Amino acid sequence: MNDPPAGLPARQAGERPLSAVVKDPPAQPLRSRGAHAGRALARWAPVLAGVCTLVLLAATLEIVLDGAAGHSPLIPKSPSIAGWLGGVGERLGFRVFLIALLSYTAAYAGLLALARTLSARWAIALVSALSLIVFAGPVLISTDVFSYIAYARMGAVHGVNPYLHGPQAIVTDPIYHYVGHDWKLVATAYGPLYTLISYPLGLLGVVGAVWGMKLMALLAAAGTLALTWRCAPVRGLDRRFALLAVGANPLWVIYALGGAHNDLVMIFLTMLAVALTLVGARALWRRRSLVAGADGGASAAGTGTGAVGVHNEAGAGAAIMAGTLVKATGFVALPFLLIARRRLAPLLGAAAVAVAVAFVAYLVFGIHGIDIVAALNRDSAFVSTDSFPTEIAHLLGKPGVFPIDHDLLKILLVAIVLHLLWRTWRGYDWVAASGWTFLAIAVTSTWLLAWYTLWSLPLAAVSRDRRLLVATLAVQGLFIAHQTAPLWAPVS
Amino acid sequence: MNETPTPVDAQRWRRLGGWVRLHARPRESERRGLGSLRLAETTLLILFALLLAIATVNDVVQQTHVNHRLIADLATWRAATGHDYHNIGVEQDIKEHSTRDTVCGNVSPGAPKQRTQICLRVAGPTVAGRRKVSGGYYLPPRSEDEASLRYGCFGSAVQAGLCRH
Repeated sequence: MNDPPAGLPARQAGERPLSAVVKDPPAQPLRSRGAHAGRALARWAPVLAGVCTLVLLAATLEIVLDGAAGHSPLIPKSPSIAGWLGGVGERLGFRVFLIALLSYTAAYAGLLALARTLSARWAIALVSALSLIVFAGPVLISTDVFSYIAYARMGAVHGVNPYLHGPQAIVTDPIYHYVGHDWKLVATAYGPLYTLISYPLGLLGVVGAVWGMKLMALLAAAGTLALTWRCAPVRGLDRRFALLAVGANPLWVIYALGGAHNDLVMIFLTMLAVALTLVGARALWRRRSLVAGADGGASAAGTGTGAVGVHNEAGAGAAIMAGTLVKATGFVALPFLLIARRRLAPLLGAAAVAVAVAFVAYLVFGIHGIDIVAALNRDSAFVSTDSFPTEIAHLLGKPGVFPIDHDLLKILLVAIVLHLLWRTWRGYDWVAASGWTFLAIAVTSTWLLAWYTLWSLPLAAVSRDRRLLVATLAVQGLFIAHQTAPLWAPVS
Repeated sequence: MNETPTPVDAQRWRRLGGWVRLHARPRESERRGLGSLRLAETTLLILFALLLAIATVNDVVQQTHVNHRLIADLATWRAATGHDYHNIGVEQDIKEHSTRDTVCGNVSPGAPKQRTQICLRVAGPTVAGRRKVSGGYYLPPRSEDEASLRYGCFGSAVQAGLCRH
């Protein structure tokens, strides 16, 4: 509909001029600004970057290899999928894990500071290596992936509706023993699209399903990184920095990828919506545009003919709705897209996907399969010790959060969302507004898990408002800091 | 009924239409004059970040204190029973949020909870890495710490009525 003249990519309103985004600067040492310190830093930057890279790889290997040795409180009871790595490491204890995590985090911070001195190939190779190391290892930290498989096997193998029953309904199934104790009676809270996608994996047997889930998480993460890579230069941002900010993030690698969390699928679909509006569908499909410029050559943004047309906006709406039907939190981005674009196309795209999936979900799961609001309400009442409201309650001398606190937090969240909607109406970046909302949900939630702090990360990496990235990384830093108590007083 | 609009009405409608078109159009960038708003937002963000940071540090310190207490509990149980076992469970008093903990472990070697267990009620400050044992009770093998299963209460457990047998 709104295609630009041949050869000229359409620019989104408010984006930087083409000349600014066609080329990535090549990898180069930090520019000396005349100062001796600057020259010294420029000289040492490659060495420092190399050290940071080695620390990231070593810390990840340590966690994965020690985790593969088994009998660790950090590794959930799991079918044998990484036995071939078992003889290399030692039992993973809290102390080693936390030292590895803190070293990783420090190296990650260093690498972000030095990102502009790295070559794009280096950044891509590092992120790929980290992802593959974790992919090859055992399931880390969380039992959630076994719940996903249990729900899939309930429907695909046993004919039990996972929206009506918890894994307790399949006590005889081999996956049951691996489901987390707290979730054995709980029906699935995930969207019908995700449940439908996971059904075929349930047929692969327990070990096959675990690998299937790990592969799905890996592909979703890789897809998100590719989209981040494509979107960053459109915003005038350094894509090496954006790629490393997301793909080398400690919580992304160790927690989300390590645990094969389905949040990665939701995040990928949200980023797909962002990319469709920023880059355009045609440019996204160009293979060359995805890999070009690996050494700082021509940027994808400039080579594509990405019209931000009605089709792309409809596709963006559809992608957000698909993400919502994977995990309900994904809905957050839709109102901001609608308010920013003020067209029917995103709404129609979202409605089309919602109707299609709801129809199939109704046939397969009945009315409960499309009632994701009930699951959200149920889960919003949960409380975890890592949540910020719990920490603030402790600070105020209370033992924990009470029902009144839940209400106050909801009011605060609504106020934040309304403020962001108002700002988006006035022209504020809808990507940043969505990111802020994701972050606000994570921070105000009484049930905070590490991977919730990742919802906003890819959006922050391509957002014009750099405060969002700082805030997201700060929240993650506090989350990591909160894990460190066993380091200062190890209980044995 | 179908009155013809006067020129004044038409002008008003045109003006309204123009206003709607102006405000319904997607904006290329945010309106000017939001510098103070951004400043206010940033200030709020910094204050909120400060609150979260203080709450996090406070929680870590509290957890560290609790961990120190748990370490003392374990050492106390090992010293009182003379067993250097590692699979010992500690339950905190989550009802009254006191520092009185209950520490349970097997009385003979075996997997966790697979033998008769002795549970000690531990309270008071940590002195030389230990705390004071005020009482306790026994649990049969392969059982959880439930009121109906406790027996052989002694010390403060008798006064607290923890045993039904």
